[in-house]
Amino acid sequence: MSASKSLDTDFLSSEKRTLFRFSILYILLTVIIISVFSFIYYELQKDLMLQEKKSTLQEYSKKFLYDLKQLHINFDKTQVYPRYENFDSAIFDNEKKLIFATSDTKIKLDKILYLHDEVIHLVNIPESYYLGAKYVIIKMKDDGLWLKQTRREILIFSSITFIFMLIVGYSLLRMFLKPMRDAIQLLDRFIKDTTHELNTPVSTIVTNIEMIDKEMLDAKLLRKINRIDIGAKTISNIYQDLTYLTLGNKIISNDEDVDIEHLVIERIEYFKSLASAKKVLLQMELVQNTSLFIDKGKISKLLDNLISNAIKYNKINGSIHIIVEDKKITVADTGIGIAKEDISQMLERYTRFNKSSGGFGIGLNIVASIAKEYNLHIEIESEEKVGTKVSVSW
Amino acid sequence: MVRGVFLSLVFLLSSLSATVYEENCVSCHKRLPVSIDKYFYKYLLIYSSETDTKNAIINYLKVPVKETTVMSDSFISRFGVKQRTTLSEKQLQEAVDEYWQRYKVFGKLK
Repeated sequence: MSASKSLDTDFLSSEKRTLFRFSILYILLTVIIISVFSFIYYELQKDLMLQEKKSTLQEYSKKFLYDLKQLHINFDKTQVYPRYENFDSAIFDNEKKLIFATSDTKIKLDKILYLHDEVIHLVNIPESYYLGAKYVIIKMKDDGLWLKQTRREILIFSSITFIFMLIVGYSLLRMFLKPMRDAIQLLDRFIKDTTHELNTPVSTIVTNIEMIDKEMLDAKLLRKINRIDIGAKTISNIYQDLTYLTLGNKIISNDEDVDIEHLVIERIEYFKSLASAKKVLLQMELVQNTSLFIDKGKISKLLDNLISNAIKYNKINGSIHIIVEDKKITVADTGIGIAKEDISQMLERYTRFNKSSGGFGIGLNIVASIAKEYNLHIEIESEEKVGTKVSVSW
Repeated sequence: MVRGVFLSLVFLLSSLSATVYEENCVSCHKRLPVSIDKYFYKYLLIYSSETDTKNAIINYLKVPVKETTVMSDSFISRFGVKQRTTLSEKQLQEAVDEYWQRYKVFGKLK
């Protein structure tokens, strides 16, 4: 399997956050749009139902007004208010004061036809105010059939629309992500190819430098050889990082108990020439020796990246303290530090905060990747112009 | 003689206790063929509320003209328009209040 293929689903956390935000926003907008349309549809269906019932209510109103007129004429003989099985009624004077009602539903007199509390109201203003009634209200119970039907239709329509919008959203997302995926794949493919081409010359340089008998050399030549040694080791580190990045997921781990003190001494020795070139003091502080069951190559890579970063971003005449404690290693430098708001992005791939120094921005991503594989906890403290402290605990 | 004096006293006392409405409205209207409550329901049919009905009656009593009457033309042709009231504003208000209380619809419907 090619490295680029393995990265197909390997989104960075910032990309995942962007995708998550886009998805939430898209779903929210979809829900809002569906809700608005559902509400409009509900209102239309309600109006349709009211218009259908209006003629029935007007018939009732006519009948009621006739009876009210008769009552008005014969009020000295009878005061029995007309009542009906099919509907209720209420009458109000022109000051909207209730004269009489057969039920106690709350009534709005500023509307002509409306639905309230499952009761359909028709507000009628007759030509003559029988018994002083300017507003005659006819109230009929709504059977609710239209509401059940409308709810069912809205549910079906909303579900279909929501699924359709999700499919559209997913297609759009894939379309928008394609350039980003292509760029990542291109970069990874480039790194893989470059790594492959670097392998042989780097191995040759490092092996040959190790084979030189340095005691036989004069001081001037030794300085030159040391500089070549530093350069070769730098290239070797980059090569190893890139190899890990492209093949990291495929490397079979040979886990063993690794003596951390011994490992730190070994790595300090390895980086000594690199540190001395920048006049950086590299030292270990042993609080308590500890061990870790891990692939030695991977813990070396983790430590190498922390140390090389500490050297790279250190000041001239600065120092690096590697503290070994129980189940914890800390690499503290006196370097340029990093702004607090950037700390959370430090572990992301291709993230670099100092463009003046070289690098691809992959070192700490490799550290994070190894830490994730072995459940190691990484803690970063940093202050600009003071230094950075990276602790790895388990 | 004593009996005559007693009856005169009873009549005097009863006339003294009569309200403005009874004394000035009922006394005249009972001579007409249309009972006084019918006028009330005519007003109600047009003016609806207590305030508007009372104001309309008072205004008509102050300035009784054909144009503002609630009665039909045939009624006016036969009985004519009433005389302008001689009652004070306070008396008018008192009489109309009583008229409203007697014939209002509120609280009477069953």
